[in-house]
Amino acid sequence: MGLESYQQGIKGEEIAENYLLEQGYQILEKNFHSQQGEIDIIARDKDFLVFVEVKNYSFRSYGSPVGAIRKSKKQSIVHAAETYLYKKKIRNTYCRFDVLTIYRRKDGSRAIELYKNAFTIN
Amino acid sequence: MLVKINSAAILGLEAYLVEVEVDSQKRLPGQSIVGLPDASVRESRDRVRAAIENSGFEFPPGYFTINLAPADTKKEGPLYDLPIALGMLLVSEQILKKNPDGTVVLGELSLDGQVRPINGILPICLSLGKKRKKVIVPKENADEAALVGGINVIPVNSLREAADYLAGNIKISPHKVDIDALFQSQPEYGIDFADVKGQGHVKRALEVAAAGGHNVLLVGPPGSGKTMLARRIPTIMPPLSLGEALEVTKLFSVTGLLHGKGALVTNRPFRSPHHTTSDIGIIGGGRIPRPGEVSLSHFGVLFLDEFPEFDRNVLEVLRQPLEDGKVTISRAHSSLTYPAQFMLVAAMNPCPCGRLYDFNQSCICTPAQVQRYWRKLSEPLLDRIDIQLEVPRLKAEEISAMPTGESSKEIRKRVMQARKLQSERFKGCQIYSNAHMNPKQIKEYCVLDKEAENILKSAIVHLKLSARAYDKVLKVARTIADLEGLKSIQAQHVAEATQYRSLDRKGGEF
Repeated sequence: MGLESYQQGIKGEEIAENYLLEQGYQILEKNFHSQQGEIDIIARDKDFLVFVEVKNYSFRSYGSPVGAIRKSKKQSIVHAAETYLYKKKIRNTYCRFDVLTIYRRKDGSRAIELYKNAFTIN
Repeated sequence: MLVKINSAAILGLEAYLVEVEVDSQKRLPGQSIVGLPDASVRESRDRVRAAIENSGFEFPPGYFTINLAPADTKKEGPLYDLPIALGMLLVSEQILKKNPDGTVVLGELSLDGQVRPINGILPICLSLGKKRKKVIVPKENADEAALVGGINVIPVNSLREAADYLAGNIKISPHKVDIDALFQSQPEYGIDFADVKGQGHVKRALEVAAAGGHNVLLVGPPGSGKTMLARRIPTIMPPLSLGEALEVTKLFSVTGLLHGKGALVTNRPFRSPHHTTSDIGIIGGGRIPRPGEVSLSHFGVLFLDEFPEFDRNVLEVLRQPLEDGKVTISRAHSSLTYPAQFMLVAAMNPCPCGRLYDFNQSCICTPAQVQRYWRKLSEPLLDRIDIQLEVPRLKAEEISAMPTGESSKEIRKRVMQARKLQSERFKGCQIYSNAHMNPKQIKEYCVLDKEAENILKSAIVHLKLSARAYDKVLKVARTIADLEGLKSIQAQHVAEATQYRSLDRKGGEF
């Protein structure tokens, strides 16, 4: 699994990026890390600063990927988002957390879904 | 950006104004509610979000701080859903408010954006009516709110409707009810004294009890009709006045017992809590004290079946409200007083197996068991019960006979006459019925003629009546004389009154 899933991840993020560009997002940053968290993609969608979490899953995985974002994962994203806002000195901006899921079917084709405003900080 | 909307909170039977402040900030999305919300207030977050989205609005972005001012009193219940949702829509400028400030907004939201009814509308409107003239309420509560004259009640069905109203897109005319018509149109009890077979002397005693507001203890074997008789006591009590009905409605409203029962309680309450009820359930209480059974039977009947089966402490807490007609409940958070003017009707078996003194069955209890059973009832408690009655098992021919006897309506006529005499007698006093006379008043109003005095004297000797029982006999005799419309108490009144001391006649115990 190890290498394969890593490659799928890289591939997934490429697909996600293209998809977001298609949707009119402007990509600002990829794989942003803070001490306790990370964000896959940071983008701008009109007035919003959007923190996007990309989730890959395939016919082999179990359950929905949105449900897979648990409290600890959420906290890590929120922490990274706060760090980002602080470092870039961004204030007075509407922010949003989106989740983008990429489902790989048995035949190798993919279905992409974007959940806007998927969660809040509490 | 900040928006303020008025709402209300209930403390006891009073309400105070709560300002719902909604502030939004452009930062990471989230929401917090401050101002000592309880779980049901905090959960409004999820209801509000769903209701806003399902009403065709957009859930606004940004971080929301919602403050329920004053911030130092605890807020409970879902009634802040609607004000919070409207606040968020106003803050995000999805509705532009045209109507003037000062409107009080109340309502729970369901996920589809419908406004659900809430508890305590009547006390809120009564308390705030003086200061605020316009109230937005759930449609199902509109009648109840409109009982309070002089305020504009705006009923709303949904969040969308409330928003449109605030924005001035639609006009909703204030809801009005004809209180008198509503008061008259309520259904009667649906049960009648004429339904009860036999038990003529018990019916008579209950008539006396209802006329004088005396508390009653019914002692009889299972199946003798104790419960059936007790249930019918409210039907012979005088009808509630409008003022009394409003007070009872207030109590039912804060406890949430009003749903589906119309806007106004016009029948006297009859409450029969099970004997496993806790003392808090009887007297009222909780972190923020709520009315208990004694308050819910205000102006009505509190029926305690299987009287000795209640916990000892439950029975003892009854003493103070029986005396004062109200209960004061103190908790760390607050001290509240609820009214509790009720008539206590207690029922019990003569012994644990129920067959003691039955004419065709023999009791299987040991004397010690019987004694233990009776010992549950303390002297001070029995002291507050004026009428003690035996309810014997019906004979075969009585059971098969058609029910006969007077209807509740006829009995009630006499009761009302007697009550009228009493209210004239006690004009200016704190009390309203014979049962509540103090020793001085007994001396003043219970004057016996010579013959009556002789009978009472011999009753004291032969029935071994205690000094306490003596006063009770006088009070009950006074009521019996009132039922006949007589000024002075005569021999037959005293004779009948001594009949209602079964316990004393048997030496405090059967």
